[in-house]
Amino acid sequence: MKSMMKILSRYVLSAAVIAIILLIINFALLIAWIVQTSKIAPKDYSVSQLANGLTESDGIYSLSGFAKNEIARQYQWAMLLSDDGHVIWSENLPGDVPLKYSVSDVAGFTRWYLNDYPVHVWRHPDGLFVLGGARDSVWKHGIEMPHKVMDNALAWFPAVLILNGAAAVLLALLFGLQLFRSLKPLAEGIENMAEKRLVELSTRGLLGDLAAGINKTSARLTKQEAALNKRDNARTTWIAGVSHDIRTPLSIVMGYSSQLEDDPELPQSKREQAGIIRRQSERIKTLVSDLNLASKLEYDMQPLRRGSVALAPLLRVVAADFLNSGLSGSYSVAVMIGENAQNTVVGGDEELLKRALYNLMANSIRHNPNGCDIKVTLEKGWGNCSLSVSDNGIGFTQEALNNLNYPKGSARLENHGLGLTIVRQIIKAHGGTTEFRNLPEGGCAVVLGLSVSTADADL
Amino acid sequence: MNDIFDCRLLIVDDEPELRRMVSEILRREGFMKVISAAGCKEARQLFALEKPDGVILDVSLPDGDGFSLMREFRAISAAPVLFLSARDEDEDRLLGLGLGADDYITKPFLPRELTLRLCAVLSRAYFPVVLRRTEKPAFRLGETEIDLNSGTVSAKAGLFTLTAKEFILLEKLYENRGKIVTGDGLCRAAWGDNLYGYENTLMVHIRRLREKIEPEPSAPRYLVTVRGLGYKLTGVEDK
Repeated sequence: MKSMMKILSRYVLSAAVIAIILLIINFALLIAWIVQTSKIAPKDYSVSQLANGLTESDGIYSLSGFAKNEIARQYQWAMLLSDDGHVIWSENLPGDVPLKYSVSDVAGFTRWYLNDYPVHVWRHPDGLFVLGGARDSVWKHGIEMPHKVMDNALAWFPAVLILNGAAAVLLALLFGLQLFRSLKPLAEGIENMAEKRLVELSTRGLLGDLAAGINKTSARLTKQEAALNKRDNARTTWIAGVSHDIRTPLSIVMGYSSQLEDDPELPQSKREQAGIIRRQSERIKTLVSDLNLASKLEYDMQPLRRGSVALAPLLRVVAADFLNSGLSGSYSVAVMIGENAQNTVVGGDEELLKRALYNLMANSIRHNPNGCDIKVTLEKGWGNCSLSVSDNGIGFTQEALNNLNYPKGSARLENHGLGLTIVRQIIKAHGGTTEFRNLPEGGCAVVLGLSVSTADADL
Repeated sequence: MNDIFDCRLLIVDDEPELRRMVSEILRREGFMKVISAAGCKEARQLFALEKPDGVILDVSLPDGDGFSLMREFRAISAAPVLFLSARDEDEDRLLGLGLGADDYITKPFLPRELTLRLCAVLSRAYFPVVLRRTEKPAFRLGETEIDLNSGTVSAKAGLFTLTAKEFILLEKLYENRGKIVTGDGLCRAAWGDNLYGYENTLMVHIRRLREKIEPEPSAPRYLVTVRGLGYKLTGVEDK
């Protein structure tokens, strides 16, 4: 729902911005237009100047050359009316313009048109100076405003702008809310779908098709989920069943073989063979329980007994266990724990983490029968730590690296069991990362990244 | 009953081969009276008839489960019960032990492990150790003699008494003689559970301990440091 609110507010905001941008554009266009029109008809010389260009001497009117030119350029014709309404001087006067006017005629054409000619008038010492333009060249409209209104113009202009903006926002909000209301069930449906619940939305209304689509997808997902669960359960149960059923026969194999191994009546060679049978059956035992654990981890069925695990002591215990278990002298184990990593605590299952570390070290030992130096390091960063086990042995093959770093699908039974797969699964179950790589100077390293528990500071 | 080998044992398992093998292992180990049953019904009859001193019980049986069978036995007898099961889920183990089983062994198992655990359970039940006086060990490190009973070290340089912490540390190291004991383990033994930041204190105590038990404390031969891990007590000669 949070995202829906975000969409709505974004929607309203954008509508307001659009309205304001439109207003600004219109305003700019208006200004541009005014500037442009004043350019088309530049009033270089006002009527008064031209009127002043008409002078009288001894009853004869003469127009200055400059005024004459301007009249010809800007206007069409000019005339001078005496106070009693007669034309006493004219220039280019069209034939349909009368030569005598009453007061009402004058009052009429000063505001509007004279026989459809647009005219301008000016007071001349001898009467009224009239300048006429060509027909249809000027559109006239009288503006009359109460003074009060014009006085408040500066206030109401921004007020209109604000009102416009507010109206835009309000309308957008209205439409947005309507959209929101129709989208809300869909959003809820998608949310439910993400949480693997079956969704059944009403398919009426504007977004009915969309709702129907979501219903269909949800039904399909639920069906798939059920099928997947069924298959996963079947697989885990099957593996658990096999590993259970194999235990009793394996007990008998291990029991008799170790009895034969210890039987002093048998010749040495036979006892050695019995020992081989015993050791191999122990390997089968490990493999079977690994397979069981791997299949459980794969399908998140292994409950994580979560607790606070202090990594540094865990590393030391596992390393000491290896050294104490009579590790041959050709192997060496070095534990290096960063100064700030001594108190690293992660949330997780101590037994499983121990198992992961144990598997990594056992892997180094098993793959390097001629001995190697094993290094276990723990470094701590902000909020996470990296635990790595490296050796200077033969390293991984390229194929093994690819399989380990980019696992395809589910757990694979590798050449030597499931040790490393289990490591990856354990770390994954802890929300961490696993990286397998070869070192340039020979050997390999497995780096585990885990997030550090926030309870760290308490300890 | 003079000996744990006089104990009468009952094995309950539905797999005849396994019954035979376990009986054979136990007879070879020295148990003379071993009987076996294939299911709950037979086990009940044998239990009532023979009154065994110890039972090895499978969990999954064809006509019932071992857990409830154990409860029935417990109602009428105090004989120890060991589970021997193919079910190795933690829940099963905890359930079995929680119901009061004396031990829980998972299949497959090594015969040696079974007999050792069985002997331990039987001797606890019938020949309790409490009666024996608990004696702390005394041992020798080269020419230095250490007696953990009195907490004294008699070295060439003279007779020393161990402080409480030194005693705990030395005892822990002695119990794991020849093996590495991590610093964390030593700290936990001496100062309690999950305490960090005691490394320096531990070092001080180890140094004092060395002054008492080492002929040359600056070049330790018996209490050696394993870098990054902990300490190890070597060259122990039991007296």
